Amino acid sequence: MKRTTTYVTSGSVGRVMAGLMLGVAFVPLMAFSAAAQDAIGEAPALAENVAAGELPPVAERVGSEPAVITPLEAIGSYGGELRTGLRGSSDHNGILRVVGPQGLVRWDPHYTEVVPNVADSFDVDAEGKVFTFHLREGMKWSDGTPFTADDVMFNVEDLILNDEFAPTPARYTTGGEPMKAEKLDDYTVRFTFTQPYGDFLAELAAPLGQNPVLYSKNYCSQFMPKYNDNIDDLIVAENAADWQNLFLQKCGDLEIPARWGNPERPTLDPWIVTEPYSGGATRVVMERNPYFWQIDTEGNQLPYIDKLVMPIGADTESLILAAIGGRIDYGLRHIDTPDNRPVLAENREAGDYHFFEAAPPGGSNMVIDFNLTSKNPELKKIFNEKDFRVAMSLGMDRQAIIDTVMLGDGEPWQHGPFEDHPYYHEQTSTQFLEYDPEKANALLDGLGLDQRGPDGMRLLPNGEPFTFKIDVIPTFDPTWVDALQLIQQQWAEIGVDMEINAMERTFFYQRTSESNEHDAAVWNGRQSWVSGQLPHQIVPVSHDSRYGIPWVNWYESNGEGGEEPPASVKKRLELFDKARGLADPDERRATMLEMASIAADEFEVIGLSKALPTYGIVKNGLRNVPESMPSSWSFPTPSPTLLQTWYWAD
Amino acid sequence: MLLLYILRRIVWSVPLLFAVTLIAFALISAPPGDYITSFAAKLSESGDVVDQARLDALRERYGLDEPFLLQYWYWISNAIRGDFGISFEWQQPVSTLIWERMSLSVTLALATLMFTWALALPIGIYSAVRKYSIGDYLVTTIGFIGLATPNFLFALVLMYIAVVHFGSDVSGLFSDEYLDAPWSWAKFVDLAKHIWIPVIILGTSATASLVRIMRANLLDELHRPYVTTARAKGLSEFRLIMKYPVRIAINPFVSTIGWAFPQLISGAVITAVVLSLPTAGPLMLQALLAQDMYLAGAFILLLCCLSIIGMLVSDILLAVIDPRIRFR
Repeated sequence: MKRTTTYVTSGSVGRVMAGLMLGVAFVPLMAFSAAAQDAIGEAPALAENVAAGELPPVAERVGSEPAVITPLEAIGSYGGELRTGLRGSSDHNGILRVVGPQGLVRWDPHYTEVVPNVADSFDVDAEGKVFTFHLREGMKWSDGTPFTADDVMFNVEDLILNDEFAPTPARYTTGGEPMKAEKLDDYTVRFTFTQPYGDFLAELAAPLGQNPVLYSKNYCSQFMPKYNDNIDDLIVAENAADWQNLFLQKCGDLEIPARWGNPERPTLDPWIVTEPYSGGATRVVMERNPYFWQIDTEGNQLPYIDKLVMPIGADTESLILAAIGGRIDYGLRHIDTPDNRPVLAENREAGDYHFFEAAPPGGSNMVIDFNLTSKNPELKKIFNEKDFRVAMSLGMDRQAIIDTVMLGDGEPWQHGPFEDHPYYHEQTSTQFLEYDPEKANALLDGLGLDQRGPDGMRLLPNGEPFTFKIDVIPTFDPTWVDALQLIQQQWAEIGVDMEINAMERTFFYQRTSESNEHDAAVWNGRQSWVSGQLPHQIVPVSHDSRYGIPWVNWYESNGEGGEEPPASVKKRLELFDKARGLADPDERRATMLEMASIAADEFEVIGLSKALPTYGIVKNGLRNVPESMPSSWSFPTPSPTLLQTWYWAD
Repeated sequence: MLLLYILRRIVWSVPLLFAVTLIAFALISAPPGDYITSFAAKLSESGDVVDQARLDALRERYGLDEPFLLQYWYWISNAIRGDFGISFEWQQPVSTLIWERMSLSVTLALATLMFTWALALPIGIYSAVRKYSIGDYLVTTIGFIGLATPNFLFALVLMYIAVVHFGSDVSGLFSDEYLDAPWSWAKFVDLAKHIWIPVIILGTSATASLVRIMRANLLDELHRPYVTTARAKGLSEFRLIMKYPVRIAINPFVSTIGWAFPQLISGAVITAVVLSLPTAGPLMLQALLAQDMYLAGAFILLLCCLSIIGMLVSDILLAVIDPRIRFR
């Protein structure tokens, strides 16, 4: 039953690939369980509790197979608090990114391989359909109750696969069929898919892949009618609308503020909520989980830091003010835009902090998606001409924009992973980058747009002025509107009339991603093609694929809704499905690059500049913090760099 | 007579209230999209990915795909019974969310009102009685500066100076250790230590405008024949001014008490956001931005009620202090 495939890594490509794929499954297995180390150290406050008989000894709390973590620089010392800021409400993922998604598996700190986490180890069969997870014996929830296979079964069968609670997320299905879960014994569970699913481990390592171990059965089952006969009384007593609402109120869900709203809910996190994130809250406080199941290489229970304190500032400016005032120990989210960098740099000494780098794995800072499925037939016809899009790209003086708007900090780039990434695709990233207005003019003339109006702007073949709008959110990235203004001038020189349509974000989302009313839209192209991430600029698979939203709908509804895409897109959708299933890293890479080639030939999306690293701040004296960390949503920066090992130097 | 007047006003308030809530609810639903759109957009903006199937399920659960009038009906029929529904964003009953914030709003608004009056009345009287004196010019100039500076800007400047030059934090209403603590004497003292900053920031412009109003009104009265008569009869200057012209000039103060009530919620939202004050304003603003309909709706409903009650109180007070209104 055990897998037999092995593969040999070669060079740096192989090293990175290793992590993306299943092949690595056995490497961490040895590194982790062989440690079999005893927990001997613990925070002084916990030691006092043990001495007073309020807590079991540390070795008992962490279980017999704790995860052993090697700290980045040094073994730490206990104590202190870590302050970081939240921006208003709906910043729940700001907490998630600090506490970390404690899923069955996680990304290693370099974003190169998926390693065991809550699970002690995992096996995958040769076909990539059967995933077996071995849990840690003696591991406990934060309330001290045991964590076993029953909890996983509760999460899978009663919640993930229970349509009454919520529809089954796509990541737990293949070919429309949900996975099957079995309990082999108290510490072993097996998930089986109907088709090969190479990306499954990467999906589990992502922030939204935590479902199988999110809820404690012991606590959360009381909020379900299946386990509690008196549920109706409880619903009334808690002022809830129905049991689902009651459940969300008490146990939360992956992506809602209520996840951090109930101090009584047991978790597997390094810190647990003591002052919750609720409607009236002005700060969130989390304290160490006495039952946390990770230890350092010398047997000290993690985390080192006692307490997380997150004041809730109503806007970004108050976060900046807190940062320069030295009241934030770690900050990245919301404050890392280029326009904040000077003020943050200026106050490094006063605020007693330094910068760390947050480097995206690839992509571009800004892409323009022409709506190839526009509701305006004239525009649709022109946008669908590749020559038009090429002309628009050649009509952009990227270097001038980079020099003016981005203070020279950039490099002309379409989109896609960088040169040092195994998924780098030269054509996708570097075609049509030169500034060539003459050629652009010739291409546009060739499309029948050769008539000009009195103002020198091009006319449609029917004599109407040719004009379109580009939708953009000005608050998202302040450089976007500035860049668009330069692009507007540059395009006017080749006779193309573009209007900048700045709007509020909900309206933008509703107009572009929901109702497909846009002519064109701006977004970032920070995605890369790593497993578990959506390559939405080369294949229309997400609401950020604004060049073909109806195609996304067609794909998501299995052909029932939306609009049937052209053959090239269909081919890529097939390749995307195939790539997700591939267990062999080389095959997957080849498939993804094949998809990229088709996308590059079609040239649907126009990029501006490489997405360069942003900079966060970290207090001097905080140790085990990397100087540079990958920046991405799938790798929820910074938690995979293991904040539980960060500590304060004396 | 007075009683009948009050009664008639109250009866009229009820249909007015319904009409206003309907309009308010329509306005909340007017922006494109709904809570789910806003939620998805916000996550997407932060570089986060949302689960589309989950969003669709949420939309269905919350009844956001129902027609507008039906949604209004669900909301208002429950609200009458005291159930304001569940906040989409927080998954908590709306009623538990708003009260704590409301009580701090009331405290802040009352403190600001006291501060404003305590300052504006004497200064206004002084600058009217000593018209064109150096003191008058001084307070008038300061008053104009106070009036012309937007509160939030004043707040930002103060915060910046505090952080950069004094290394202290002037935002919020409590020290960290009292944020989540139950109410106690120590917490109250802590509140008092913090509340004067927003009170001054919020109070400056109101004070300035009230000084001007008081000054202008009083100037109108000071040269009336009844003042001259009273003076001729030998009444001391202080008693004379306080007893007659001031009593008339104070009229606009009383008639604006009504406005102070809705101000409890909506007043100084931007300042509260800048200063991170845990009052109702920022929560309402956020609910509106997120299109969290029931939470925003509850605030709007409160605003409407408070406006109507406030006007009623104003009218009654006016009738009490000014006989001319009573007998009209």
